[in-house]
Amino acid sequence: MAGLTFSGVRKTYPNGVRAVHGIDASVGDGELIVIVGPSGCGKSTLLRMVAGLEAISEGEIRIGERRVNELEPADRNIAMVFQNYALYPHMSVFDNMAYGLRNRRTPRNEIARRVAAAAKTLQLEDLLARRPGQLSGGQRQRVAMGRAIVREPDVFLFDEPLSNLDARLRVQMRLEIRRLQQSLGTTSLYVTHDQVEAMTLADRLIVMNGGVAEQIGRPLDVYRHPATAFVAGFIGSPAMNFLPATVAATGSGVIISGTGHTLTAAVTACEPQRPVLVGLRPEHLLPASEDSAALKVAVDLVEALGADTLAHGILPGDGAGPALTVRLEGSRRVDVGDTVPLTVSPDHVHLFDPGNGNRLV
Amino acid sequence: MEKRVVFSGRWVPVLLLAPQVTITLVFFIWPASQALYQSVLLEDAFGLSRKFVWLDNFRILFADPLYLDSFGRTAFFSSVTAALSLGLALVLAVMADRVIKGTALYRTFLIWPYAVAPAVAGVLWFFMFNPSIGTLTYLLRFLGYQWNHYLNGTDAMALIILAASWKQVSYNFLFFLAGLQAIPRSLVEAAAIDGAGPFKRFRTIIFPLLSPTTFFLLVVNIVYAFFDTFGIVHAITSGGPAQATTILVYKVYSDGFIGLDLGGSAAQSVILMAVVIALTVFQFRYIERKVAY
Repeated sequence: MAGLTFSGVRKTYPNGVRAVHGIDASVGDGELIVIVGPSGCGKSTLLRMVAGLEAISEGEIRIGERRVNELEPADRNIAMVFQNYALYPHMSVFDNMAYGLRNRRTPRNEIARRVAAAAKTLQLEDLLARRPGQLSGGQRQRVAMGRAIVREPDVFLFDEPLSNLDARLRVQMRLEIRRLQQSLGTTSLYVTHDQVEAMTLADRLIVMNGGVAEQIGRPLDVYRHPATAFVAGFIGSPAMNFLPATVAATGSGVIISGTGHTLTAAVTACEPQRPVLVGLRPEHLLPASEDSAALKVAVDLVEALGADTLAHGILPGDGAGPALTVRLEGSRRVDVGDTVPLTVSPDHVHLFDPGNGNRLV
Repeated sequence: MEKRVVFSGRWVPVLLLAPQVTITLVFFIWPASQALYQSVLLEDAFGLSRKFVWLDNFRILFADPLYLDSFGRTAFFSSVTAALSLGLALVLAVMADRVIKGTALYRTFLIWPYAVAPAVAGVLWFFMFNPSIGTLTYLLRFLGYQWNHYLNGTDAMALIILAASWKQVSYNFLFFLAGLQAIPRSLVEAAAIDGAGPFKRFRTIIFPLLSPTTFFLLVVNIVYAFFDTFGIVHAITSGGPAQATTILVYKVYSDGFIGLDLGGSAAQSVILMAVVIALTVFQFRYIERKVAY
């Protein structure tokens, strides 16, 4: 068991493409860190650098106390679960799991014991003689997990392991991975583009965008206090609404541009008249009475999900007005064409710099 | 998925099939049936008289030590040629698979030999290894080896094996390269993480996954060495010295057109036909079942 440290890690490909621009982070022993971001943000590259499948251009990665930059993948004592599982198609499930142990000259009875234990944990006992081609997607996923855990590595690496599964199985496997990781207590790095997976699995999140770690923190902290507009928009579903606005001259709130709506917000740190980007989560917009409403949204599309209803609309003003999504209780009836009066607590009004996207106060 | 075109008339499909059927009839069915017919005849060299002799031609062949020798020689030639060209092509393909810069150039050069006609390839090797003026003979002499495939049967056999393999390497290379590129990169990466070194990865992961390609190529190469190497043998050694390089397909020619034993030659070609049919059936039956993982 060991932690994992990134210091100033960069990746530049031979053709000049810069995939990762300097990551500094540390993963505690037994912690599960999820690296989340849109495709092309460098998250998989970062994971592959830990695995040793990509060279580290600059900076240093340490597993425990060992600097691993120059080590071969085999010598890093890591195990990886691939997106397509990467099971050896010509070997049985047993051989797939035993392959890594055999390569390390583990005694035969030790191999049998470890594979049996992993198979029991993952409910693969009846499938040990089968080939990967004879397994379902969920079973293959389990074999891939089994292959990782029999090795008893210092670090588990997961490269979007659930993205090939159907939605139901994904939820189930997500729980299994979490349970397994907690019971084994192995340091883990988990890459995904799915923010729900990220929120539910992670001890801490690294939100990446364009090769940069935009924010590192516990899921709820990231959700409550997103460091940048990008993080705010990426974490949380449905995504946060962004409205251009200016700080009111009175210093008590912000005025949404082009609509005349005024929101009370903590703007003491901002100079008056300053342009800002206001972020409002759909779930923080609450229905209000006509006269106490801060915002009035004209609904043009309704998605009834049962438990909740998503109302999409615009804030009327001069011109088209900014778009806004609201999450309402499922029992509430909304129709296209309705105008819904809304209020929002000042604590839930996020302010960002419209230029660089950084959080203000 | 079913793709079935329904033609309204009777003539369009017939017309579309006609070229293929005509070619098969004229260049395969007709000569093949001629061979079958001639193989049971005893004919004089000028075609003036012929006699029906049942299977006497075959009986004589299998009693002829020269023919049986040629069988053994062909088996040796085919297996060594197949092994050499497959092995070489595999090495080249594995290396080409790792090349990052100049891939297209490298591949094009490796594919070229396939475009060379067998006789031309033969002449090429003939000159390189010519006992009096060959450049490679000259080099071999420096190494203390007196190369002479006119006199030495082993030299002659080595030379046609070399020439025949060289020509087939390109074809095998193409298939091996395609096969290698079809193996998901993540499998090799997983094996690397699992602690297998490059050689072990090749032996335990890559080679087994290539086995369908290898099996297919093995059959194709044996068929090639059996039947397509006539031009090479004819251009380099003409079956000599002392029949040392008279492989079956060359013997058909030399017995028929030089020895003018038309019936015996026809019987030999019938036997060859049986061999190629057997190989083809074997390939079709097993290629997808036996080797699949």
